[in-house]
Amino acid sequence: MENVRVKDNKDYLGEVITVNMGPQHPSTHGVLRLVVDLDGETIVDVRPDIGFLHRGVEKLAENRTYHQFIPLTDRLDYLSPLSNNLAYCLAVEKFFDVKIPERAEYLRVIFAELARLASHLVWIATHALDIGAMTVFLYAFREREMILDMFEIATGQRMTSSWIRIGGIRDDVPPEFFDRLREFIEIFEERVDTYERLLTKNRIWLKRTKGVGYLSPEDAQDYGVSGPIMRGSGIPFDLRKAEPYSIYDRFDFEVACFDGCDIYSRYQVRMKEMRESRKILEQALEQIPEGPVMTDDPRIGFPSHEEVYEKMEALIRRFYLISKGFKTPKGETYACVEAPKGELGFYIVSDGKEKPYRLKIRAASFVNLGALPAMSKGYMIADLVGIIGSIDIVLGEIDR
Amino acid sequence: MVFDDIVKYFSEKYPGKVSGKVEFKCNFLTVDKSIFKDVLREMKEKFSFKYIVDVVATHWPNRDMKFDVVYNIYSIENNIRVFVKVMIPDEKIETVTDIWKGANFMEREQYDLVGVVFEGHPDLRRILLPDFFEGHPLRKDFPLKERKWFNKADEQNLGIRFTK
Repeated sequence: MENVRVKDNKDYLGEVITVNMGPQHPSTHGVLRLVVDLDGETIVDVRPDIGFLHRGVEKLAENRTYHQFIPLTDRLDYLSPLSNNLAYCLAVEKFFDVKIPERAEYLRVIFAELARLASHLVWIATHALDIGAMTVFLYAFREREMILDMFEIATGQRMTSSWIRIGGIRDDVPPEFFDRLREFIEIFEERVDTYERLLTKNRIWLKRTKGVGYLSPEDAQDYGVSGPIMRGSGIPFDLRKAEPYSIYDRFDFEVACFDGCDIYSRYQVRMKEMRESRKILEQALEQIPEGPVMTDDPRIGFPSHEEVYEKMEALIRRFYLISKGFKTPKGETYACVEAPKGELGFYIVSDGKEKPYRLKIRAASFVNLGALPAMSKGYMIADLVGIIGSIDIVLGEIDR
Repeated sequence: MVFDDIVKYFSEKYPGKVSGKVEFKCNFLTVDKSIFKDVLREMKEKFSFKYIVDVVATHWPNRDMKFDVVYNIYSIENNIRVFVKVMIPDEKIETVTDIWKGANFMEREQYDLVGVVFEGHPDLRRILLPDFFEGHPLRKDFPLKERKWFNKADEQNLGIRFTK
């Protein structure tokens, strides 16, 4: 693959000017400000300025019980709230070594994969729009609407669903959800083909993406980038295979990995990932058993609604869990999931109380943005828009 | 290669300064401050921990060792994750940006929120909070209920200060 980075600057004016981009620029996907040093139209340096959306989530966590923090995780990467719920709940569950019911595990996987698809669909829509391909936007949002409808049926919310709980999920899904899911799985493969027909061999798309935003495999690890950017740099690292959490070791899927190290191979990775997610959904739908969706471990699991209405003890336990929370053992732990943007991890330090002593969110977008200067130096200013799009950042996760 | 091999290697090389334990399925390698950078460099070069995941600092005001700094690193070749933990008595610690470039953003964030000073860092500025913010919010002694507001008279100037 040819790297079109401009290495030799001697033909240019030799006069560096500094340009401000954002925070209200439409292609920055939120409130990201970039200070760009330009030599003519060539980028000499990029300095990201972030923090416009900082809400102090990590500090808020120190003053909330473990259950009360779940809705705040939705607001990190607001395009895939259920992946964030899952990562946080896995981290808290590590303290207890608790057994999650089978049906809950399958529903978690289904939710996480649907969240990945929803996030990738927004990505392909807005990224193509940034580069100038308008049509894909309309197609991708049509399919995203189907996923959001499914979320609404299952959780009552289209976004910020906070449905996964510590020890299981909040409630079982209605049968209609599976009908919709089956319908979605049937059509989705064909829909991905439609997107690919619009972009993969499109000459303008290739010109704008091939060889642009080069990040070598060594640099990818050195900068700590994860997710599709790392896999687009030729490193087949996927946490679903490397450290299988939940029940991902039961599914048969491939790790999408391309070695172009540019925007185009990140695009290919995400397209293949969508197909692989569909495969996982198909298998999960076949295998999902009947049963409870919340653990019966009395330390952390909520009693079911039927129990609460009938039994005094269950009512007391529910009241106690909601008003007081539960205590975790002393110590430190970390759990991570392969979120749509990359590795999303929660590092929790507990001092044996109901609230975390310190909670650190390893946000994928934040670390991926750190590699933006390395990816964009030497390219044209117009390529910067495409490079930002290929990182697929969500500022809610970066600023926390 | 498993975690025990790493612990064995380093405790033979630096007797008494390195200890390892597995806590809630996470591998923790506690390292003395005097040698931590050598250990981290060797982790990267000898044991191929090339992927830096995160840097976490925690404030413990009631301890002699006031801060914990934890380096979360991963070896993709050997598929193993290790948390290297360094305890420091005051807020000063050496930077690791010369080992992993990605530590730049991570250390800036910890400096901003927890107030750990990474000495030798090329660009140690605040990252999430504005430059004129006073204090470090994730420290345990940061006042929670005491509100600070912008001084309206200085709002348009660059030298904005907080007033009570």
